[in-house]
Amino acid sequence: MMLSRKFLCSAALAALLTGSAQAEVTVLGWPGGPEEEALRAVTEIYNAKADVAEDDKVELLFTSRDGFFDKLQVDLAAGSTAFDANLIATYSIGRYAPFLEPITLSDEAETVFGDTVLSTMQYDGAQYGVPTDLSLHFLYFRKDLIDALMANDDAKALYGDISEKYLGERLEPKNPEEWSWQDFAANALYFSRSVNPDSPTRYGTVLQMKNLLFNMMVFHSLPRSYGANWMDADGNITVDSEAYRTALEMAKMLFDAGATPADSTSYEYAEANAAYSAGQVAAMVQWNAAASDLISAQPETVTQAPPTGPEGRFTHIHGLGLGLNAAAENKDGAKAFLKWLSTEEAALAYARAGGAPGLATNTAQKLADERPDLVQVGDYASNYGFVMNGGTSKNALSIYEAQAKEFTGYWAGTQSLDEAMSNITASMTELLK
Amino acid sequence: MRLLPKQENAILASPMVLFLLVLLGFPVVLSIIYGFSEASFESLMSPKFIGLENFRLVLQDSSFWDAGWFSLRFGVITALLECVLGLFLAVYLAPLIRKHGWMVAVLIIPMIVAPAMIGLMYRLVLHEFAGPIPYYFYEWFGWSPSFLSTGMVFQTIVVAETLQWTPFAFLLFLTAYQAIPNDIREAASVDGTRPWRMFWKIEFPQMLPTLFVAGFIRFIDGFRVFDNIYTLVGAGPGGSTTSMSIYIYETFLRRGEIGKAMAAAILLFIVAFAILAMGQRLMRRAQ
Repeated sequence: MMLSRKFLCSAALAALLTGSAQAEVTVLGWPGGPEEEALRAVTEIYNAKADVAEDDKVELLFTSRDGFFDKLQVDLAAGSTAFDANLIATYSIGRYAPFLEPITLSDEAETVFGDTVLSTMQYDGAQYGVPTDLSLHFLYFRKDLIDALMANDDAKALYGDISEKYLGERLEPKNPEEWSWQDFAANALYFSRSVNPDSPTRYGTVLQMKNLLFNMMVFHSLPRSYGANWMDADGNITVDSEAYRTALEMAKMLFDAGATPADSTSYEYAEANAAYSAGQVAAMVQWNAAASDLISAQPETVTQAPPTGPEGRFTHIHGLGLGLNAAAENKDGAKAFLKWLSTEEAALAYARAGGAPGLATNTAQKLADERPDLVQVGDYASNYGFVMNGGTSKNALSIYEAQAKEFTGYWAGTQSLDEAMSNITASMTELLK
Repeated sequence: MRLLPKQENAILASPMVLFLLVLLGFPVVLSIIYGFSEASFESLMSPKFIGLENFRLVLQDSSFWDAGWFSLRFGVITALLECVLGLFLAVYLAPLIRKHGWMVAVLIIPMIVAPAMIGLMYRLVLHEFAGPIPYYFYEWFGWSPSFLSTGMVFQTIVVAETLQWTPFAFLLFLTAYQAIPNDIREAASVDGTRPWRMFWKIEFPQMLPTLFVAGFIRFIDGFRVFDNIYTLVGAGPGGSTTSMSIYIYETFLRRGEIGKAMAAAILLFIVAFAILAMGQRLMRRAQ
């Protein structure tokens, strides 16, 4: 009897301890990389706050990046209660919105992030998430190579010859801050051995041409600078435009000329970074997240906003953030955490822990010494950031997928530009109706 | 009471049938329901019956036929290569393996690795700037083939699949080869039969049923290929490396057209079943 009473007491104590250690707000985050580290850091700060009840403490849940959004979609659609808040991205909000609930951010949110960044987490006029990380594009270039080119008259003459032959106009080398996309292309050709056998690098650039939706995002900064959009104000599909055609033809010309590796049609983020890091690429457009890796691999690397076009300079932006699961078991606790995440205290802590929030200029200045890159990100997002019309719609992901299929088919030569345009117009008309 | 052989068979097979019904029955029924319904992630719980509409959409989709053609080519070519190589290795290495049995364990290692890992491994190994193969090409010849370029990607994935699954065919052929009674070989040798003739006239016919089995298993496996291609090159530029499984996966998860994806899966099942039945009939005839 004595023994069984002891056993029962121990079991009750163990249950109590387990219960108190169990978090009541579960957050499904973006696994691996700086985003996970940063989220862990701010969660610790939040859980240590005296005014956060035991029942509202946050526990993090991470799976794996492979197929993350597919798994999340199935979980949300099935009404999973395994997490109260979950990762969302600009391009997937529309798809997940039926399974999410809009949230209220803190009063500071607008000052901390600015309207452009907050809009990356909005759908149908409602705020579905708190922005945590912002992704956009930088032009990465090797300053040593550009300086050597600018200092050599023979090289300049050859540069002019190459641009005349491939682009139809004689261009002179310029500093990358002044580059148009034509200059980018001329530079890519000049630094490619297939065009210029004396080039110090094997390729002038590296294009990510794999049939993958994220590669379309990298590509979009180019057509946008020629005025491309998915839809006009009346909802007409405008993808079959001179702007898209010019951009697609430019990419294909670079691919066919050997200015990017022949297996670029299988390249995505990692492959492109490996090519640049090997020192065999002169310049590339890549996500801002690659900055530290590329600069440490090639210390002469300088970052710059992507080149300009007739309609201006643009960079695709999208945000990662956290939204509220409509089936959450502890909605109030999750709402409180998400609201706190949108305060300056949380945003600065997140940035200090390695995250990349899109901060408004004044907020980013507070971290200028520790995270100068965030100042650049904030600046580019406010001045050059864009989201295509329909870029947060329910089928945005499917549109990127369809474009990836059709555009890569054109680049690889499996279909003509007209076929690609006709196919993508049909797909987008269906997906955006 | 004495049971008839048919009754005995039914009783012996019942645990397996029950197991399959429990484990596979529910997903199969669900797939059939979705295949005849308009279903997306939003309407997952309330699919709307639309008859054969999904099947019509699938059959009118050129991507479905492209994927089918890709899978057919891939399945036939890889099954042929694996069987030829497997047969060659089994016959050529049989005397050596008789002395050193541990060699079998070494030879079947590729089969043990998950296909998705194989895809990732080749993605690294064949990368022009990070992979050892292009590196040595550049070192020795100052040039390297672009293994994953549009013109070469099909050959590359065929080679990757063949290298991984030839050991499977090899294992089957080795077992069949070793099962041939030595008396027959000895009698033929005494009669002065040369090795090549012995293989063609005596050993090969004995291994023919195994060849059918290996060929069909490898064809079906190649036809429904997914993991290694998806991790290596995805759906390919313009969908050029989209197999039937990749088509179904993308239709389901990427485009959210659950009904259409299920209809395609049902069609794939019917085709696979028909091929299997045909194969079995051929095998019986060969026996």
